[in-house]
Amino acid sequence: MATDQHSVELVDDDVVKPFARAAVLAALMGAAVFVGSIPIPFSPIPISLGVIVVYLAGLYLGPYWGAFSLLLYLTAGAVGLPIFAERASGLGVLVGNSAGYLWSYPTAALLIGAVVHRLSEDGDPADLSRPVLVVTLLAALTVIYLLGAAWLGYVLELSTVKAIEIGVVPFIPGDLIKIAAVVAIVEAERIAT
Amino acid sequence: MIEFRSVSHAFDDVPVLEDVSLSIDAGEFVLLAGANGSGKTTLLRHSNGLLEPDSGEVLVDGTPVAEDLIAARSSVGMVFQHPRDQFVAATVGEDIAFGPENLGLDRAEIDRRVTAALETVNMAGREDERIDALSGGEQSRVAIAGALAMEPTHLVLDEPFTGLDAPARRSVLERLASLSADGTGVLLATHDLRDVCELADRVIAMHDGRVAVDGPPADALAELDGLEVRVPDTTRC
Amino acid sequence: MLTYEPDESLAHRLDPRAKLAVQIGFAATALAHTTPRALIAFSALTAVAMATARLSLRRTLVSYRLALVVLALAPLLAGVTVGPPWFDRSAAVASGLASYRVLLILLVSAAYVRSTPVRDSRAAIQRTIPGKPGQLLGVGVGLVFRFLPVLRGDLRTIREAMAARLGTERGVVDRASTIGMLGVARAFDRADRLSLALRARCFAWNPTLPALAFSRVDYPVLGLAVILAVSAFY
Repeated sequence: MATDQHSVELVDDDVVKPFARAAVLAALMGAAVFVGSIPIPFSPIPISLGVIVVYLAGLYLGPYWGAFSLLLYLTAGAVGLPIFAERASGLGVLVGNSAGYLWSYPTAALLIGAVVHRLSEDGDPADLSRPVLVVTLLAALTVIYLLGAAWLGYVLELSTVKAIEIGVVPFIPGDLIKIAAVVAIVEAERIAT
Repeated sequence: MIEFRSVSHAFDDVPVLEDVSLSIDAGEFVLLAGANGSGKTTLLRHSNGLLEPDSGEVLVDGTPVAEDLIAARSSVGMVFQHPRDQFVAATVGEDIAFGPENLGLDRAEIDRRVTAALETVNMAGREDERIDALSGGEQSRVAIAGALAMEPTHLVLDEPFTGLDAPARRSVLERLASLSADGTGVLLATHDLRDVCELADRVIAMHDGRVAVDGPPADALAELDGLEVRVPDTTRC
Repeated sequence: MLTYEPDESLAHRLDPRAKLAVQIGFAATALAHTTPRALIAFSALTAVAMATARLSLRRTLVSYRLALVVLALAPLLAGVTVGPPWFDRSAAVASGLASYRVLLILLVSAAYVRSTPVRDSRAAIQRTIPGKPGQLLGVGVGLVFRFLPVLRGDLRTIREAMAARLGTERGVVDRASTIGMLGVARAFDRADRLSLALRARCFAWNPTLPALAFSRVDYPVLGLAVILAVSAFY
């Protein structure tokens, strides 16, 4: 061929696979806002798939690619794909009232991925015992709540107590159900790492 | 020319290809037949370095694939099953430009290639359409155009008709026939030889990881019994 | 739903990088100031941004309805006190001003969304963020755009298949885990096929980048972005 190819630098094969998985998982996170959520008893806020994907990104993609996947989700939403809650989009959302939650997602995936990476030789979350898995997910949820409520309080000038009342308490039942669902997913061992 | 020299490959100690040797000339239209699990897909993936052989070697136009992956992958264009999962962009033109962009070509050359590839698959002027809005047959043709934009000497297709209805299948086949007539080598893997074998110069059938049959369609058809390949109702080809 | 719409507005003709810079500058200064005087100036700027993109206020507010609920609730909640005087007016006003500037930030970013196709954003990312991270984020944004409808279809199919066999009668944990597991398993299947196609098509670190060029109208916009960013410190 007559083209100048000597300078082409192929992306390594062992980068392409996790990159493709991270990108498709970011799209799944976005697709979750389009399909209806599951109502739960005694709570005004239904379950959406979203945060489940955050946990699974950390568990199955590891710390770096898991965090990358969620950074990609944030980037894609910031430039205009309608993939934030209620199909919102725009860079403003990343500094708006819910920005703390959104930025906590890559952090949470990084934390979960780091635990899996440390405790399992081949990065398989099924190697984690149930208590370790539950504690890890609860720690990630704590990070999400902390960052989410802290930014909410700062940017809307609310006291800490009030930020928690509006930004944490209503979500607790749904988030505990999601953690139970994620434990069930890991223990079913049907997702290949 | 694509040459396989004593290629063997195993997945987790299960042999999938055993000592396969064959060569495919430029401009030849070759059908690769065989049941699921006979080794067709594995063989195809060796043709441009998506897999590395456990032993033996693969050469494209005389150069070992392992020595120059970029040359192998731009000379051997590949189209997989499930076209939906091969697209990297939301619109037709952007997707077809992906390969030439990776080769570092300048923008004018990329645009020329996108236009030419779309013309070849009979979809001229449809650069800006959304891929999701296309029919299955059109998606297959865009996938082929994406491979053609690399200006390959060979086009390798793995069961590209999955999920296509008869008219869509025929229109894809017509494009392949005219490509082959224009000098591009075509290697088409399929488990269903109906209405393709009259287009082919040669039929290769795989069985349990080995080449079981290799010859002109008329001779090969008679030997396909027991290989779980759907053959035309008429014995003539 | 707020999304890119083809149009001939001034904002549509601007370089995406200039528009991103203005948004960042605006957000920085809006986060730093909540005085009524500053908010009046920000409101005027927001109106200009929306006009240049021919953005409909009503439709944009609808698309940010979830945020609006929180932004409206926050000042009320901030004002409520457990004991007398039962309502603290100054706390409510402070929170109201803060909420209002968040709304303005959202509206300014909506102007970008309406006026910028994903292709341009992708080009801006690849040309602004250096090296491999920029390349992966840029191509990644294109892939998210591409696979979003595919995975929406997958999730819908999974839910319909469950409902068809009365899966709706099962417990909520069970339903959530089934959808999550099938959704991710299918997404990974698609991703693994995609990675094969990426390799076959010579996915490279140094491809020809999408074309972007600043034109004369972009420079005043970049200047404005700098002024806004600097004003965050005063």
